[in-house]
Amino acid sequence: MEHTSTYIGLTPLFPLLGALVLGLMHMLTCTKTRLPEKLYGVLACVGPLLSFFLALVIFYHLKGLPTEERFLSHNAFTWFAVGDLHVNMGFLADPLSSLMLLFVTFIGSLIHIYSIGYMAGDKNFGKFFAYLNLFLGSMLILVLGSGPIVMFVGWEGVGLCSYLLISFYSEDTDNVLAGNKAFIVNRIGDLGFVLGMSFLFWAIGTNGFDYLSLKVNAHNLTPAIGITVCLLLFIGACGKSAQIPLYVWLPDAMAGPTPVSALIHAATMVTAGVYMVARFSFLYTHFPLAGSVVAWIGILTALLAATFGMFQKDIKKILAYSTVSQLGYMFAAVGIAAYSAGIFHVFTHAFFKALLFLGAGSVIYALHHQQDIWQMGGLKDKMPTTYKTMVIGALALSGAPLFSGFFSKDEILFSALASGHSGIWIIGVLVAGMTAYYTFRMIFLVFHGEPRDKDLYEHAKDAPPLMTIPLIILAVGAAFAGVLNLPAIFGGSLTISHWLAPSLVEHHPHVSIWIEILAIVTSVAAFAIGITIAYKKFAHGAEEPVYTGLGKFGYNKFYVDEIYNAVFVQPYKAVGAVISKFLEPNVTDIHVKLSSWLYQKAGKAFKVFQVGYIRVYAIYMVIGLSLMSLFLSHSIN
Amino acid sequence: MFVDGLFTAFSVLAVLGALGLILFRHPMQGAMSLIVTIISLAGLYALLSAELIFVLQLIVYAGAIMSLILFIIMFLNIQTKDLPEEPARFYYFIGGIILLVPVASFLLKIVQSLPDAETTIVGNGFGGVKEVGMILFQDWLLPFEIVSILLLVALVGSVVLAGSKRRLSK
Amino acid sequence: MIQNYLILSIILFCLGILGVITRRNVFTVFMSIELMLNAANLAFLAFSRLHESMDGHVLAMMVMAVAAAEAALALAVVILLHKHKGKLDTNLFSLLKG
Repeated sequence: MEHTSTYIGLTPLFPLLGALVLGLMHMLTCTKTRLPEKLYGVLACVGPLLSFFLALVIFYHLKGLPTEERFLSHNAFTWFAVGDLHVNMGFLADPLSSLMLLFVTFIGSLIHIYSIGYMAGDKNFGKFFAYLNLFLGSMLILVLGSGPIVMFVGWEGVGLCSYLLISFYSEDTDNVLAGNKAFIVNRIGDLGFVLGMSFLFWAIGTNGFDYLSLKVNAHNLTPAIGITVCLLLFIGACGKSAQIPLYVWLPDAMAGPTPVSALIHAATMVTAGVYMVARFSFLYTHFPLAGSVVAWIGILTALLAATFGMFQKDIKKILAYSTVSQLGYMFAAVGIAAYSAGIFHVFTHAFFKALLFLGAGSVIYALHHQQDIWQMGGLKDKMPTTYKTMVIGALALSGAPLFSGFFSKDEILFSALASGHSGIWIIGVLVAGMTAYYTFRMIFLVFHGEPRDKDLYEHAKDAPPLMTIPLIILAVGAAFAGVLNLPAIFGGSLTISHWLAPSLVEHHPHVSIWIEILAIVTSVAAFAIGITIAYKKFAHGAEEPVYTGLGKFGYNKFYVDEIYNAVFVQPYKAVGAVISKFLEPNVTDIHVKLSSWLYQKAGKAFKVFQVGYIRVYAIYMVIGLSLMSLFLSHSIN
Repeated sequence: MFVDGLFTAFSVLAVLGALGLILFRHPMQGAMSLIVTIISLAGLYALLSAELIFVLQLIVYAGAIMSLILFIIMFLNIQTKDLPEEPARFYYFIGGIILLVPVASFLLKIVQSLPDAETTIVGNGFGGVKEVGMILFQDWLLPFEIVSILLLVALVGSVVLAGSKRRLSK
Repeated sequence: MIQNYLILSIILFCLGILGVITRRNVFTVFMSIELMLNAANLAFLAFSRLHESMDGHVLAMMVMAVAAAEAALALAVVILLHKHKGKLDTNLFSLLKG
């Protein structure tokens, strides 16, 4: 027991130490002869693998405990103490965080291994792995934090790493701008998070500010404050998890190296918002109004992003929009209080999205950084492993029956239907069809048909084993991860839902089996329709269409970036220009200038008195003496 | 009566000497006037029963310091043409007197508020060498030592300043 | 009467100040300072007599010692100045002019 608690604290420590060591090594040697890449690679993988091992230990330890006692906590040290408030650097492992821990470290380790191959030859090889390790450490702090404050440390840490890694190829201005965009948009969300946290503390935090105490005190919240807190926290989640209106940064974030897109912007960091909402399930269950807002924003994001995804031509952007879309599903799930369904989708999504990104990375790697799907085609013979694994990923993403995505997505749609949110259900089914369409549009354009760029096609080949083995492992996960949460109708027992139950506050609705069958049938139908349309249009070769009308509108992402630019960025810049041109020199700086001017003039005026004759200085002294005497002889009367 | 007469005579001489100091143009004449003042002050010290200081005033001030000043004046061989022209001297005097009136009146006011005493000679060796010496070496020992160091430093300093012919010629 | 001594000390002191601020001759200025020191000495002795305590005598001795030191240094400086300029005018030395 004692030992296992300590492991919780050690879990984030290993990657953080790795980041420190790698960063120092890179910093000290980057101007001299570079260290061999193998050294960096091995060191970089040690931390994540150790963390994964510890995650397994923690998981099995929890599994051995009775259901109601499944939580371990460990206080590393007191971070700060103000008055009666003691904020500990505390870590908490319960079913929810241990599940997150398990797949974060697992997928993180795989992506570290994959990156050794993908980043080979990069001149900032060491820096990349230092950032990646730092990211993993921060993510583990986020997941394991015992209270909102510790979570916020990780939250900001992953935000920082995301920024650093998006603008990793910093020679290109666009990448740096994309990094800035991500960072700034995330700051807007973080403001919401901090405000929400402050409100929460103000309302009920004084008796301890960690999840367990908050959960006990949650019933003291008045509805107004409770809903405010929920919505403010959700703004934070919107920033981190790319929901309307703050989703704009995620597609641009694809400027980073592909393993980063897979790890940070698909599998782990972007799901932090979902995790946070699930963590605060005791609040969101209390205030269903806030929950519905979350659910509706989630499902609308899903719809919008799927619409954009249908028109993209950059392979990574398609996947980025599909990530936004799937995140929308997750928020819809946690919004309607189906937390375990949402977390289950986080879990399966991590597998198949990481797989798709890594597969896309292999394609890009093989085609010398060509990302336009209209330049690809027919690659299935040249890259069989990548093709097979990516098809599995695509099937899972679009919800093909018996693949992992099918079960998790079905669970969400079923929960929506069962809890009476039929609007969300209808949109959800529609989005499922669109997902199938754009995913297979991508698969068909990339791997089927005739090669569109002969030159690139000739040189394409499968990636080295270091990169394909993670693909295969992830493909297995993407195919079979759903088995872990088989619903009763397929003979399973919702293992993950039951596992998560102690951490979450949720109610499983009991409805007739026909509704469940209805949900399954509609989503299978949506999948079938989507994939059929895609097959008809793209499987046998298609030329890049010229978009007109609605298509053009969608291709340009509804001009959201331009609208944001016009509505927020430009006025902001204009205000800045006004301030710097008029306000600053004429108003705020005026007293500085005035006083310096005054001193100059005064100096020139008083210079007259500095005649240089000692006698005159003596006269000044006597004048002073005389005035003093006058004053004193008045006062002693 | 005799004492009052002496006081009046000495004070008139002292004031006249001081006036001579500030009015004579040539420093030699000024120095001679200052000697008059210093000797009259010595007489006044005697009237105040300060035997030791009376003697020291004559020996140290009139004897040593003033003869040093005279010696330097003569050493520099100052002619009237070397002296600065001071055409506006009397305007300065008037201005200075106006400035000093408040100072003087303030000091007078204070003096008048003090208790008064007769100036008869105090007996019991007041102001004698032995008595002053006792106080000097018992209560004022540290300041006395410090003053001795001050004199030493002044000695060294004046040698350095005035005797640096070689360094200046370079 | 002690007060008369004090009044005489005030008169001599003011004459000393007058000498310092009106004259341009270095020697006269220097001797005016000596005059002021003597006025202070007279006040010390008068107060000493008033309170019949001999601390004033000791202080007067100290003042004399300081005056002697000052004379030694000041005359050395005067010699230097005379060497430089050949004149005794204080207005020649105005390096502090702003």
